[in-house]
Amino acid sequence: MITVVRQLRDFAFGAALAILIATVAFVAVRNKELAARQIDLATRAASEVAAARGPLPSVDAGLVSQPSPSVKRPYLRVRHVYRHGACRQLTASGGVNDKLFYDAINRAERTGVFAELVRDGSGRAIAVTSSEVMTSCGATEPTPMWAVAVTAPARPAPYPFLVIIGLLGLGIALSAAGALLSGADGRAARAGTVVGIAVLAIPCVLWQAWVATIAIVLVGGSLALLQRAQLTDRLATGIRIHRTALGFLAPAAISMIVLVAAPFVIGLVLGFYDHHHGTWTFVGLHNFGEILSGGGRPLDDPLNFWFILGVTVLWTVANVAFHVTIGVALALLLSRPWLRAKGVWRMLFILPWAVPNYITALIWKGMFTGEYGAVNSLLEAAGLDGVSWFSSWATSFSANVITNTWLGFPFMMVVALGALESIPKELYEAASVDGASAWQRFRHITMPHLRPALGPAVALGSIWTFNMFNVIYLVSAGQPGGATNILVTDAYRWAFERGERYGMAAAYATIIFGILLLWTVFGTRIVRSKEPS
Amino acid sequence: MSTTRRGPNPALLVLTYVGLIVLCGIVLYPVMLVCKKAFEPGSQFALSASPVPTAVTLDHFRELFTTRGGGGELLFLRHAANSIVVALLTTVVGVSLSCTAAYALSRFKFPGRKTGLTMFLVVQMFPATLLLLPLYVILNKLGLLNSIAGLVLVYSTTAIPFCVWTLKGYFDSLPRELEEAARIDGASPWMIFRKIILPLSRPALSVTALFSFMTAWNEFIMASTFMTNQTKYTLPVLIQSSVTEFSADWGLFAAGAVVTSVPVMIAFYVLQKYLVGGLTAGAVKG
Repeated sequence: MITVVRQLRDFAFGAALAILIATVAFVAVRNKELAARQIDLATRAASEVAAARGPLPSVDAGLVSQPSPSVKRPYLRVRHVYRHGACRQLTASGGVNDKLFYDAINRAERTGVFAELVRDGSGRAIAVTSSEVMTSCGATEPTPMWAVAVTAPARPAPYPFLVIIGLLGLGIALSAAGALLSGADGRAARAGTVVGIAVLAIPCVLWQAWVATIAIVLVGGSLALLQRAQLTDRLATGIRIHRTALGFLAPAAISMIVLVAAPFVIGLVLGFYDHHHGTWTFVGLHNFGEILSGGGRPLDDPLNFWFILGVTVLWTVANVAFHVTIGVALALLLSRPWLRAKGVWRMLFILPWAVPNYITALIWKGMFTGEYGAVNSLLEAAGLDGVSWFSSWATSFSANVITNTWLGFPFMMVVALGALESIPKELYEAASVDGASAWQRFRHITMPHLRPALGPAVALGSIWTFNMFNVIYLVSAGQPGGATNILVTDAYRWAFERGERYGMAAAYATIIFGILLLWTVFGTRIVRSKEPS
Repeated sequence: MSTTRRGPNPALLVLTYVGLIVLCGIVLYPVMLVCKKAFEPGSQFALSASPVPTAVTLDHFRELFTTRGGGGELLFLRHAANSIVVALLTTVVGVSLSCTAAYALSRFKFPGRKTGLTMFLVVQMFPATLLLLPLYVILNKLGLLNSIAGLVLVYSTTAIPFCVWTLKGYFDSLPRELEEAARIDGASPWMIFRKIILPLSRPALSVTALFSFMTAWNEFIMASTFMTNQTKYTLPVLIQSSVTEFSADWGLFAAGAVVTSVPVMIAFYVLQKYLVGGLTAGAVKG
């Protein structure tokens, strides 16, 4: 009996996977089928009308005239529709499909005849062809017409619940039978598993979804292999032993898998596609090739990946250097024992961290912008010439760095202050008794104590800076000519500002991820190796 | 050090204070400019470098609170309501998901525990910007663009890793004897968690709650990408859209910036001690 329970446990797991695959296949296939059927219907109806035969039932089809000046207002160009033996003008309030008709003909005149699904999710299809029929509808003498047809809305076939439930029952029976018949070697049980799962592939065969069919059979096969290696038993035991811990962990783990891992994988896959006007085409490694080869652009072109990578590295190094220097210097000043009102100073210097960073970025944008911006006014007050900050690379880049330095040093300061506070005072006293100079005390007492705290902070800070989207996007916005973009802002622009090149953007994100991964693995190792062991 | 006993050298003392005051000026200047702009008439950013307003008016705040959108609704209040709803829901979802996970990671030994901890750390390091595009494509397919729920889900996952690490650190510091006593009295794990651990962890829970709230309240790029319908904007999107390249009303921006930042800045000062701990703890232990 226990083997049947075990068998059904494994079957449930495999069946859940199989039904998931079948459902995905069903959604994909039924949408494709529906689209093909509707478009075919619309095309046939349009050609029927074009050949002056009667329209097909349930399809709204008619002949549409060339544009002609409106009688009342000659500066307007109207079209007439000839259907059901009557001729009337297409108007916004006239009929259900008037607007669709009008737009479709305009498009056909620009780009040629077409047949496709109406993009409103209603499942209607529209087709336009040119017609030899001449009518005098909407004109004083017979002119050639366009034939248009719009099908009735259609909903895809409903999900075949009963079929799936029936097959599930059959599968359960088969796999249980296998377990009951099976001897000590469990061969029949495994055969039952394979057959039971394979039964669920039947609908996929009927839908001609071969990939899904193979996937489901593979699920059954690998499940049997797992059973043979007794991995399913061990997994079940493991889950039973740790069920409390897994129960506590599950909500967060599932949400992370759904919202981080799944989009991440989808992002990886999108990198292999090209996106153009809503259609995705598989292009293999083309996007990666285009990015890594610089797209045939010279090295100093702001769209060349290597140029952007250089800017990003420079940006990261400059910022982290400023953050650490200023942060540590301030922390040293604030940790003087004789300094008054330490708490107040500390609070004041943390202020930039407290301001939301998109607001900081916009404030500095405002301060740098314009001939009479605050920064230029200050420069003039100091007797210097004002600068047009965003018109050359160096000044634009500096503006970004200044902004990011302002908002980033408090983190390093707080980390350094914490580390300084933990240094025992006796060390300094002992050192000065031994006659160590101020520099020697800094070099041999302060520095070694700062390093372990600053190492991780630098690792973290460099990743934050590398990805500091808001400052670049809001302060310089890449000016001049995209030359101050960093990798993350450029990836964003590929997706949302350069004609929806989603594939390129996804490939970019993948490459950025790779760089960050290398940096966290090797970079943190370098930072750590400098620590005294 | 020698200065502790003898007191500082007067030149050094003067130099230190002068240095601190100058740096303080640089730190405060932009903030003061914005406050000035919020109360000064006119929509230019600055016609003078002085941080003292030439005239004081409440017009910008009045405009901020009374501008109406296409549907006749008060835009600022609508966007503030969106922001508050998003931030509160993010807090609830983020904290409730992460406190159970943190408890599991702190108290139970199970295979994959170390991997789990590392995953939470890595996710915290990799910015949500990298997931922006796939999320956009998915939300677009599901018809969830312009939906508060989509934004809440995305923000929660951004907040969860930090919350897990902070809460785990706190749970680690709680004595196990209490739980053992409760277990011997026959309490279930869930009961121990609910009746003992959670009440003891109020400080850590409030810190992570504040952090989740701030994450959602301050986020700009996701909100501006996913929310294309003006009535669904959150405050950061509203504030950014008041100073685009084509029409910049810096007075309105400054008023909006003051109203939105002050609450989170207060929250930040409450939090900052724990923030550093939580952020670097993850980096050190990982």
